[in-house]
Amino acid sequence: MSGKTVSIPAEATPAPKGALSQGRTPTPWELRQLESAPKSKSRASADRVICGLPIVMAALVIAQYKLAPNVGNAITTDTYTYFILFMAFLVSVKFIMSCFSKTSYEKLLAKAPLYTAGFLLFALYDYATLKSGILPLPYFPWPDRILNGIYEDRALLLDCIKNSLILLFSGYFAGVFAGLLTGLASGLSSRVRYWVMPLIQILGPIPSTTWLPIILIVASSLFGGSVFLIALGVWYPVTMTSMLGVLNIPKANFEAARTLGAGKTRLVFKVALPATMPHIFQGLTQGMSVACTALMVAEMMGVESGLGWYINWQRGWAEFAKMYGAVIVICVTFSIVNFLLSLVKRRVLRWQEVNWN
Amino acid sequence: MSGQAGHIIVKNLTKIFARSDLNATLVALENLDMEILPTEFISIVGTSGCGKSTLLRIIAGLETATFGQVFCDGEAIRDTDPRRGLVFQEHSLFPWLSVRDNIAFGLRATGKYRSSVELVDRMISIVGLQEFANSYPHQLSGGMRQRVSLVRALIVSPNVLLLDEPLGALDSFTRMNMQDELLRLWNEHRNTMILITHDVDEAIYLSQRIYIMSPRPGRIACEIPLRISYPRNRSSSEFVNVRNMILRKLDFAKEEQEDYNL
Ligand SMILES: Nc1ncnc2c1ncn2[C@@H]1O[C@H](COP(=O)(O)OP(=O)(O)O)[C@@H](O)[C@H]1O
Ligand SMILES: [Mg+2]
Repeated sequence: MSGKTVSIPAEATPAPKGALSQGRTPTPWELRQLESAPKSKSRASADRVICGLPIVMAALVIAQYKLAPNVGNAITTDTYTYFILFMAFLVSVKFIMSCFSKTSYEKLLAKAPLYTAGFLLFALYDYATLKSGILPLPYFPWPDRILNGIYEDRALLLDCIKNSLILLFSGYFAGVFAGLLTGLASGLSSRVRYWVMPLIQILGPIPSTTWLPIILIVASSLFGGSVFLIALGVWYPVTMTSMLGVLNIPKANFEAARTLGAGKTRLVFKVALPATMPHIFQGLTQGMSVACTALMVAEMMGVESGLGWYINWQRGWAEFAKMYGAVIVICVTFSIVNFLLSLVKRRVLRWQEVNWN
Repeated sequence: MSGQAGHIIVKNLTKIFARSDLNATLVALENLDMEILPTEFISIVGTSGCGKSTLLRIIAGLETATFGQVFCDGEAIRDTDPRRGLVFQEHSLFPWLSVRDNIAFGLRATGKYRSSVELVDRMISIVGLQEFANSYPHQLSGGMRQRVSLVRALIVSPNVLLLDEPLGALDSFTRMNMQDELLRLWNEHRNTMILITHDVDEAIYLSQRIYIMSPRPGRIACEIPLRISYPRNRSSSEFVNVRNMILRKLDFAKEEQEDYNL
């Protein structure tokens, strides 16, 4: 080798930033900062602007609504203004928080494009209906009318949400319970599997809503019949996933448990059940979407309460604003239900090596 | 604690497997005899596929003998028993339980958890995993997992500990550390240890007696008592002599295997 001294490029060995030089290990956030490529000045300020974009977009939505001329002599109220203002307020709170906390800044930065797109969608729809009439009444009421429709019927809607949720969860939990029972049993015992498999193969592929006409005739109570219908729809995916889950558990898990003195009950509830949980949650998620569909069908076809019934009823009166309102309420309700389910899933499956981000 | 318990007698053991793929049967073990005394540390070495795991699984009660019998303290073995612990080669920790709960599993299963909660903490610190008590298995290194497997089996104070290549998947540094760990645990618990290994040095370093198995069908080819005092020096002349002798015997066993293959 020649006598040349090797110089180490400066950026290859970043000086430990604060945390390490003080002799403590970095927090997860600091770690991500240390390991990620450093942001350039211009990139950092661009990110700041992106965080503020939703607020700007919300202001544009309100400006268009208040300032641009309406089509025909449409009557408008301030409900929509207040609604957008409220949404803008929530985003502003997040923005202010992001100035003080690095974690909420990163969260907002990730969500800002979505929020902006949401406001943009409002602006576009408002333009297509109220401002230009491209989408005409009565089939396409503008956002303000829809919001007023929801507000007018709020008491009835709340009652409908309550009834829908009661029906949904009665059917869902009944189906989950039955599904776990047959799924775990047929996973663990080949004799049970022998008798349950044909049933699964016949009933499984048929959408549970197919049975609705029969249930309408046979069931003594419509509520009971609908619970059965939803439960049947949930039962299939939960049975399948939990059975396959049990069959896929490595034998070593059972053997280790047995050599440690675990009895039959413990093998089922402390080994088979937790080991199958990742599979079961697939079934639970699938089952939830089946349950929501079955709920809507049941409510539109027979049950005289709930959100599905409300939509049908308002359609009968040609109250399209209220119909759309109900669609929005359904979306929000089901999103919340699914969000809660995913929270439970994360909590239960926290042992899994999964990157949730 | 275990006193004179942990006495294993294998009598005329034959194990035949049905091979569904060939519609044939396979003799994994044939007329095998052995006796292991309480508190003894023995090793079984042999080429892979010669039936070591099968033998251990029968002693554990996970597999049933086709002919012959295995006795533990005078009782014929029919099922698994927490008095006979088993440590597998691959990590067979429960992935859904934290290190703590994995270790406590046996205590809970045998209904002794309430009365010995602090034993769990002691076991965790014995293998130096205090910082990882609440971690999940996938967050541990291979060596840490095997240490957890070891104390998980040990915590119910089994009279016999069956070790199926427990260190086989570890790198040589971790492995040597774990071998000392094994000796320490054995000294403390004084249980019967039956170790399967494909590492001749490991067998000589740890055990009081070595069984060499010959393959297809699995039999005891010979039995080598070791009278070297602990702790053993891997480069001492005694150690090296024994190693050379065993390697010669294993060669002989290999020739036999080829005969059977014909
Ligand atoms: N459950 C089983 N079914 C059929 N054959 C088996 C089974 N378990 C082991 N064997 C056969 O028995 C022989 C011995 O296997 P094993 O005891 O695992 O060997 P080792 O542990 O010494 O490598 C092998 O030929 C293997 O194919
Ligand atoms: Mg083996």
